[in-house]
Amino acid sequence: MSIASSAPVSDSVLECRALGKRVLVADGPLDLLADISFSLPEGESLAIVGASGSGKSTLLALLAGLDLASSGSVALAGTDLASLDEDGRARLRGRLAGFVFQSFQLLPELTAIENVMLPLELASRKGARDIAAGWLERVGLGKRLEHTPRTLSGGEQQRVALARAFCTEPRILYADEPTGSLDTHTGEKIADLLFELNRETGATLVLVTHDEALAARCSTSLRIAAGRVIEQRGFAA
Amino acid sequence: MKLALRQFRRGLAAGDYRTLIAALVVTIAALTAVGLFAGRMAKLLNTEANNLLAADAVLTADHPIPAHFAGAARAAGLVVAQTQAFPSMAAKGDAAVLASVKVIDGAYPLRGKLWLTGHAESATGAPPAGSVWLDPRLANRLNLKVGDALRLGNTQFNVAALIEREPDAALDFASLQPRLMMNAADLARTGLVGFGSRIKYRLLVAGPPQAVAAWQQQARSALARGERLEDVREARPEVKTALERAETFLRLVTLLAATLSGTAVLLAARRFAARRADAVALYVTLGATRAQIRGILLGELLLLFVFGALAGGALGWGAQEVLGWAVRDRLPAPLPAGSVWPWIAACGFGGVLLIGVAGPALLRLAATPPIRVLRRETTAPPRLWLTLALTGIATAALFVGVAGNAKLAAIVAAGIAGALLAAGLLGWALLLLFGRFAKGFAARIAVRQLARRRWLAAAQLGALAVGLLGLWLLTVVERDLLSAWEKRVPVDAPNQFAINIQPDQAASFDKAFADAGFAPPALQPMIRGRWVAQNGKPVDPKRFEEDRAQRLAEREFNLSWGETLRADNRLDAGTPLDESKPGYSVEAGLAKTLGIRLGDTLTFDVAGTWVSAPVVNLRTVDWDSFRVNFFVVGTRSLFAELPASLITSFHLPVERRDVVARWSAQFPNVTFIDVGEVLGEVRRVLELASSALRLVFGFCLAAGLTVLLAALETTAPERRREAAVMRALGASRAQITRVQWIEGAAIGATAGLVAGVAASVSGWLLAREVLELTVPWNWQLPLMSLATGVLLAALITAWERRQLSRASALRLLRDPG
Repeated sequence: MSIASSAPVSDSVLECRALGKRVLVADGPLDLLADISFSLPEGESLAIVGASGSGKSTLLALLAGLDLASSGSVALAGTDLASLDEDGRARLRGRLAGFVFQSFQLLPELTAIENVMLPLELASRKGARDIAAGWLERVGLGKRLEHTPRTLSGGEQQRVALARAFCTEPRILYADEPTGSLDTHTGEKIADLLFELNRETGATLVLVTHDEALAARCSTSLRIAAGRVIEQRGFAA
Repeated sequence: MKLALRQFRRGLAAGDYRTLIAALVVTIAALTAVGLFAGRMAKLLNTEANNLLAADAVLTADHPIPAHFAGAARAAGLVVAQTQAFPSMAAKGDAAVLASVKVIDGAYPLRGKLWLTGHAESATGAPPAGSVWLDPRLANRLNLKVGDALRLGNTQFNVAALIEREPDAALDFASLQPRLMMNAADLARTGLVGFGSRIKYRLLVAGPPQAVAAWQQQARSALARGERLEDVREARPEVKTALERAETFLRLVTLLAATLSGTAVLLAARRFAARRADAVALYVTLGATRAQIRGILLGELLLLFVFGALAGGALGWGAQEVLGWAVRDRLPAPLPAGSVWPWIAACGFGGVLLIGVAGPALLRLAATPPIRVLRRETTAPPRLWLTLALTGIATAALFVGVAGNAKLAAIVAAGIAGALLAAGLLGWALLLLFGRFAKGFAARIAVRQLARRRWLAAAQLGALAVGLLGLWLLTVVERDLLSAWEKRVPVDAPNQFAINIQPDQAASFDKAFADAGFAPPALQPMIRGRWVAQNGKPVDPKRFEEDRAQRLAEREFNLSWGETLRADNRLDAGTPLDESKPGYSVEAGLAKTLGIRLGDTLTFDVAGTWVSAPVVNLRTVDWDSFRVNFFVVGTRSLFAELPASLITSFHLPVERRDVVARWSAQFPNVTFIDVGEVLGEVRRVLELASSALRLVFGFCLAAGLTVLLAALETTAPERRREAAVMRALGASRAQITRVQWIEGAAIGATAGLVAGVAASVSGWLLAREVLELTVPWNWQLPLMSLATGVLLAALITAWERRQLSRASALRLLRDPG
């Protein structure tokens, strides 16, 4: 299936063509994803929805260059990810992307502010501490800068993760089930914060979720089953 | 580096890799402490043994010693003293007795103490000019008292004091005459020294060990005919054995300490590397390049190492100071300063272990796919061969370096390798067996889980086996080997020799002992003979390159006969002596020095009669038993018709020394030799070494056990996760505990049994092959070890159970670490 976005292709920050991922299992080759094409304009938000095991997270990994496709291509801000080596992809992510994960992925031994400083320091940004402190203030944790993840609640940990994701002012934000590990109330608050920050920064959002309400807040969506797009919303035909 | 520093700092604070740091610090601390303490003790023991030389080094000559030797010593900051010894008649009125005269100067003795009877303090310097000090035997024979006059050559002397103990008497062991000491300033006017006098000149040197060693090396290259360097080890085989044994014991304990704590580092480093995988995947996701990641990981490793080296070094230094403080009352002198080498070696070992285990795994991590942040299971496996190669090199280097003895290193290494192999095989066999026959839920699950993560189980099993082996070997060393040594040289070991007893005096000699309240001593025949031929070819002492061999070949041998192998002798090769077949039994060390092989025909000239027979066996002699022993023993038929005297050794309590004077008067032809000084020295070496060893042993045991337990605990997260799954599925806590119990008991019992057997075999081999001690086979050890293995596993299981009951299944599923 091929889908074109309603926006002109030249404005696309993320574009994939005939994307596929095939792995070898005991019974032979297995297609985790097949024939996925779309292009996402700058500032839009995309929800990837589907049941567990449908291939949502695999697609997110390919779109972010965390894994390589078996066929087809992904272009991030005009750069074909397959043309870069692992380091090149890492640099590109460092420059353009932010991440939020279901399991927060904070380093347990670092404090909240040190976790937020991490991507800034990897990119050798000056004034990392001030920038990180500002973002923690923004997500409501201004008074908990020196707390380690163990002493923070799940909601608070995800706030730290949001601050870490936005502090580099990414052009694109990848979020993998950002509310999946949280209770409904906390999840809603985190989702509100995520969309609010996304709006403020103007970043493009790629969101993997099985939460229909959350998906409905995105301007476009893809529904995946067994590695294939079975439904799409918000894309121009 | 900033990130590495932060990771390290936070890691320290949060306890993320507390176990690895603890293991590394304890490894470096234990090796530093034991190495440093052992080194200082060894130095002290050597200095102590040098008391028997009255110096650190001695140059002997049959002519006045050229001044350049003393000049070089003084220039190197060493102190020197000179002595001369020669036989001369000492007379009072018409009575005259042959005395062994020793001329000393004001500096004598440089080491050890000279005690005079009735003096509370040891003597320093020579007797005042015009006076002499006498051996009580000499005073007794000439009926002299302190204050009496005595004639020596053409000069009258005043007897100023009687000699109680002379530090370097052992050097003149061969001279059987009683001692007379005089001031060097008096020598010229006695008129005793002239051309052709048989004088033994000695230059005594003492000072810092390095300077002494340098002087010895320089002197050795400048030796002329008739000059040689004396060494206490060469002069007294008993002392040599004691010193070497003490050194071997200390080295062995160091080696075991390293084995124990090294195992802990290996386990903890493995866990550390595994935990770092998550962080690395996150770094890559957030835009870190491989170079950046490698930099962070290596930086972290470097910081860990530096911390371990500094903290371990400081802790080790402190610990050995405490050890030194604890034994201070038992030391004859303050412990000499230690060197920095044990610390450097400890850091080297710790560093290589760290890099060997964590290094390859961490470098491999740099290639961790970033997708791991989404899917945990995608971890790149570490390069096993690189880990094995690096740790192998580290262990081999340490073993060779620390052991300083190929046999010692080989036995301990073989023990470890054997234990690992046996543990693997036994574990595998048990798994197969139980897999087939296990009944009940808990047993089935336990077997299935062990089989599924068999590599983790194998790592745990191996570590526990090696750890227990280390602990048990330490125990064997402390309990069996050290006691065997102590029993070897008891407090009441013989301290007197009586020689030249005529066969017809045997009965009255026995009676004299009985009258004085002593058990009659065992008399042994002794024949003096010169070695004249080997395999029919005349013996030419000059053909031996080695100094000692030349002297041995030139000297008359003390020979004996008797077919029974004595308790302190051990057959190395050949068959026991047999009355029906004439033959010789030769001491193995002598045979090696003189190039005598089994089957060679030796000929001795005994009072003009040539006695030839083949060498039928070679035997090792425990010289430190202080009993009468002979280099060469023949069958009775060889010597039965030849003139022989009798010799014996016995223990005489210090307060009964007076009887010797009485016996000397009763048996004027018999010479009594006091070896109390040498025995005392050997006992001192033994006591010092064993009290040091017992302390070090306790230290190693405590440190080793602590880190081993902690490190074994690092293998727990995997099991915790399984427990959480079972609990989530509705298994009761009791069921889970049972599963963990069965797993733990299986691993503990296997490791315990294997370690116990390996320790008892290695201990027995070490005693026999390296320390030359006889110890009974330790049968209880494997059983005790089995029980300990189960107990240790139980402790770990109990600990895990506590953790488990504290945390929710959800938390454990999310973060088993």
